[in-house]
Order: sequence, then C-alpha cells, then structure tokens
Amino acid sequence: MNEWTGLLRLTMEDRLGKTVPSNVYFQGAFKVMRPIYHDDSGQACYYILNPGGGYLDGDRYYMQIALEPDARLTLTTQSATKVYKTPKHHAYQENEIILKEGSYFEYLPDPLIVYRDGRYKQITKIRMNKKSTLIYSDIITSGWSPDGSQFSYDMIQLVTEVYVDDDLMVYDHIKLTPNNQQMNALGMMEGFTHIGSMIVVSEQADNEFIEKVYKKLNTNEKEVKIGVSSLPVSGFTLRILAMSSQKIEHALSECHNFISSEWYQTRPSFLRKY
Amino acid sequence: MTNNILSLFQLCDSNFPTGAFSHSNGLETYIQDGRVHDVATFLQWLDVYLNEQLIYSDGLACHLVYKALVENDLDKIWSVDRLLHVQNLPRETREGTQRVGQRMLKLVDVLYDIPTLKAYAERIQTKQSYGHPAIVFAIVGRYLDIPTIPTTIYYLYSAISSLVQNAVRAIPLGQTAGQKVLADFQQSLIEATNKIQNLDEADFGIVSPGLELAQMKHEHVNIRIFMS
Repeated sequence: MNEWTGLLRLTMEDRLGKTVPSNVYFQGAFKVMRPIYHDDSGQACYYILNPGGGYLDGDRYYMQIALEPDARLTLTTQSATKVYKTPKHHAYQENEIILKEGSYFEYLPDPLIVYRDGRYKQITKIRMNKKSTLIYSDIITSGWSPDGSQFSYDMIQLVTEVYVDDDLMVYDHIKLTPNNQQMNALGMMEGFTHIGSMIVVSEQADNEFIEKVYKKLNTNEKEVKIGVSSLPVSGFTLRILAMSSQKIEHALSECHNFISSEWYQTRPSFLRKY
Repeated sequence: MTNNILSLFQLCDSNFPTGAFSHSNGLETYIQDGRVHDVATFLQWLDVYLNEQLIYSDGLACHLVYKALVENDLDKIWSVDRLLHVQNLPRETREGTQRVGQRMLKLVDVLYDIPTLKAYAERIQTKQSYGHPAIVFAIVGRYLDIPTIPTTIYYLYSAISSLVQNAVRAIPLGQTAGQKVLADFQQSLIEATNKIQNLDEADFGIVSPGLELAQMKHEHVNIRIFMS
C-alpha cells in the first residue's frame, strides 16, 4: 500500500534564527513552492498545493512534516480541500508531524468541502517534544451538492492523535455520516453547518491563559458557538459550531492572534492566497 | 449465579456511592438554556448521548476490556484507560469520570479481592493510569462470571439511570415520569449493546459535536448544581 496519489515530506531546521528546509520531497498530486518569509522573524511558511484540484475516488495522500529543534513553521493550503464523490473507495489522507524541542508549528488549512456522495478519512499523528508548541486547526463545511442541500456527503472522519514525549495525550475523533444521523438534532449539529477545531499544546498554555482565551472568544452571537477546555497536558481545545467558514476562520484567527500577542508579542501574518 | 448477578446489581444501584449523582455530563448546560425542559426534550438528549457518545467511549471500552480480560491482556486494559481519558476533551467530564472511576474502584476493592483491580489501583496510585468506571465495572463483571453482553448492558443501565435521576432533580421531572423514561429506554439500551458488539477499536472515541460543546460550555454555566 505505498502507492500514494500525493506525497509530501518536509523537514525544516533552524539556521541561525532562520527556519530553512533541509529536505523537501513531493510527488504526484501534492506540491509546495518555495517557503515564504512574511516578516523578519525567521519563521517559514509553506502553502500546500493540490495540482489535481481535488481528491477523487480512492485517492490516498501522505504528508510528513518534521521540525528540527527551534524550527518555526506555518503550514497552510492554497485553497479549500475538495473531495469529490467516491463511489468505490473513500479518499484518505495520513499526516505525520514531528516536533523536536523548542520548535513551533502552526497548521491553518482552508476548509474541507466534501461533495455529494463523497467519503473522506484523515488520520493525523503528531509526535511532539514537551518543549515544542503546536497549533493545529481544521474547518469542516457541510459540503457541496448541485441542488444546494447541506450534508449530502456520505462520510467525514477525522482522527487526530497527539503524543507528548511518547505518551498519547489527545485523541480527537469526529465521524459524521449524515445518512445515518439526524444532523440538525439536539446534541448533533443543532442547526449549525460548520465545525471548527483548534488544538493548542504548549507549556505556556496554563489554566490562567486558557481562561483568558475563553473570555476573549466568548460571544453571545447566535450564528456561532464556541467551547474552550483544557487538555490533560498543558494546552487546550477549541471547538466551534457556526453557519459559515468565515465565522469559524474569524474565531480561529482571534485565538491565533491572542496567542501570538501574549506569548511572542507579535501579530500573525495575513496568509495571502491569491 | 443468582448471587453473582445480585452482586453486579449492587454496583448499578443509584445508592452505590460513586458520586455519579453530581455529574450531568453537559445535560445541565441544555437545562440552563432551556433546550431540555421536559420528558420529550430530555429523551432527545438521552438518545443522542447514548448512541452518539456513550457507546463509542464507555460502552466500547467495557466490551474491549472484557475481551482483554478473557485473553489475559492487561496492557490492552491500560491502553483503553488512557484512550478513555485523553479522548474526553471537555475537562469537567474527563476529571469527573476519573473521580467516579476511582471511587468505584475503592469501594469494590473493599468488597472483593480481585488481582486485576489491585493492579489497576496500583497503576492509578503511581500515575500510570487514570481510572474509569467502565473499566472497573468490566473487571468486576468478568470476576463475577457475568458474560460480556450483560456486563455491558448493566453498565449502560447504571450510567443512564444516574442521568435519569439527575434529570428528575434538575429539570425537574416527576419521580414517576423518571421511572417511565427508564422503562421506555430499555429497548434503546438493548439496541446500543447490540451495536457495540459490531464496533472495534477504529470506532473508539467518536464524539457528537453539540454534546461535546455543551460539556465544554458547562464550565461557565451560571447556576450549577452539577460538577459537569
């Protein structure tokens, strides 16, 4: 099973305060351009491209990102991940992320859009040193259908595992199968269409900080609902239900901005896409 | 055999002092904002809680741990303990369940002499394991020679009946209405237990977005009678 539709391996290292690639390899339907430096911090930024324009029936993607000590990387996508209908086999993506001591990694992809009759499964394994920092996010939309109906996809399954110094400390499993579930029911999506998540693991994310995040993000808006809770390691999860990707992106970037200003006295760069 | 079943019933009794009566697992958030306010809305919540969360966590854990006990695979049990803890992202439900699990373990340890349970207690003591009621329950079920399917369904019954008692107090519902909910819910418990037989580890820890968000939001609910 080593036939990947798209493969990306990226190793970043710190060279005198600047994060540079020490190994870049991609093949098939995954591609990255040269790293971009949005400011003089030395933090690198890569945009993942999917030249095929979307994931097709049975497509399999693999991505391995390794950060050597003190490397700092922003990873994002060029555009939304689209999964078309998968009549035979679900589309699959496996992500492996390795964070060495002192490294900083933020993953801020565009929304996931699974089309009518599509199935998508993603497994992400993050192995991090206790003294590294992780910000990992995703946005799940209600999909796309020619007739405009919501939740017309067959399955979305996202499994995210975070190991801190080899111990499994976070296990997040979302599996939505709209044909077998009452999507709008109480306890399910409750009338919302989009789910946003962010997992933050850092020694700096203590309970006092998490309470500040809650106060910063708490809102009485009807179109968005936000939950924040601390993890069994120093860190927290953010879970958002909303009516649009924009609302989720807004909440995620508010949290991201807050982290940057509180911990690094900086403002994240705007991720220009077009 | 009859005595063994009675012994397991003792753990299901709402008077068995595990502290489960102080945990609503997010139900209180819905009661506070008015979305759960009567028998009908409570049943909607209970159905989603059982079928979209409990079967993939506690229910599946009970099933997997029982199997591991039969195969004498203790490492498997410890790994299920960790999974149960780390998949529970809302802090209050995670820590609350851990507390209930540890209290149940202490009580059972006074009643029975079960080596696996002592090993579990030892691991919790030395912070290698966390403690979870579904694991304690499966260990006792196996020790009492109750087969896996009844052990799972009795566990689900005990979890659901505590929540019904809590709903009776908090919504509030009448005592009779509460008993009627419990009686009507039997079929759901049977179906949930059947579903669990067809699940495997790849299904572990699936959560329902709304329920989980409400469990997180409970940390900031204004008036709280429950700890989760």
